[in-house]
Amino acid sequence: MAERHEEYAVIAGHFGFAAAVKARAPSVPLWALMLACVWMDVLFVPLFAAGIETIVPLPGTQGGYGEGIIHADYTHSLAGALLIAVTFGLVAAIWWRSSVALVLGAVVFSHWALDLPMHHADMPLLPGNAGNFPLLGFGLWRWPWVSAVLEIGLVLLGTFLYARAASRAVEAAQPTGAPARTRVRYVTAALLLSGLVTLGLNWFGM
Amino acid sequence: MSFILGILLFVVVAGRLDARLPWPSATKNTP
Repeated sequence: MAERHEEYAVIAGHFGFAAAVKARAPSVPLWALMLACVWMDVLFVPLFAAGIETIVPLPGTQGGYGEGIIHADYTHSLAGALLIAVTFGLVAAIWWRSSVALVLGAVVFSHWALDLPMHHADMPLLPGNAGNFPLLGFGLWRWPWVSAVLEIGLVLLGTFLYARAASRAVEAAQPTGAPARTRVRYVTAALLLSGLVTLGLNWFGM
Repeated sequence: MSFILGILLFVVVAGRLDARLPWPSATKNTP
């Protein structure tokens, strides 16, 4: 049953946030921002497969969208998230400017910050819940529709900000460049459709 | 599936399309 519940987490909202960051930090590659925003979940996957981190349905539910208790005690602990973010930033700094690496590290950590209001109280402060401190999570998932609306809102806002910044970048570089403007439309459409498809599949438990 | 598809769509598809736009460079040896 465990793998049936591996997908019911915040996904689209993180990507929407990353698109918004691109508008403010245009030199950071979008693909790297998109990877950074879900890097904690990427690391969760092998730990989940190994049974070290798990998801169990909230008691009395089918474990649908927002109905999972996520025991990601290493990747989604506060200290773990900080460590993962710093490591990601340091690796990024090998190839890219320190300002770019800093943004990427911050975006990695944004995953924890965005999960905090959504998760049920299942996020520890320290890896493995060492010290048995109170678990964190404000539990917006108790209202799945509200959570989904917030996620799609982030996708729409991020896409809008991205499209505006991309249009300005194209105008500055190629004021008469119709092909470049068409490319902006392609990326904007890809962001919107990707957000809708991802959230839709997530909502229906796929 | 939504997670894997999300990565494919956002990182690979949108990322590749975005790379064709005239953004400033992220590399160290360019301003």
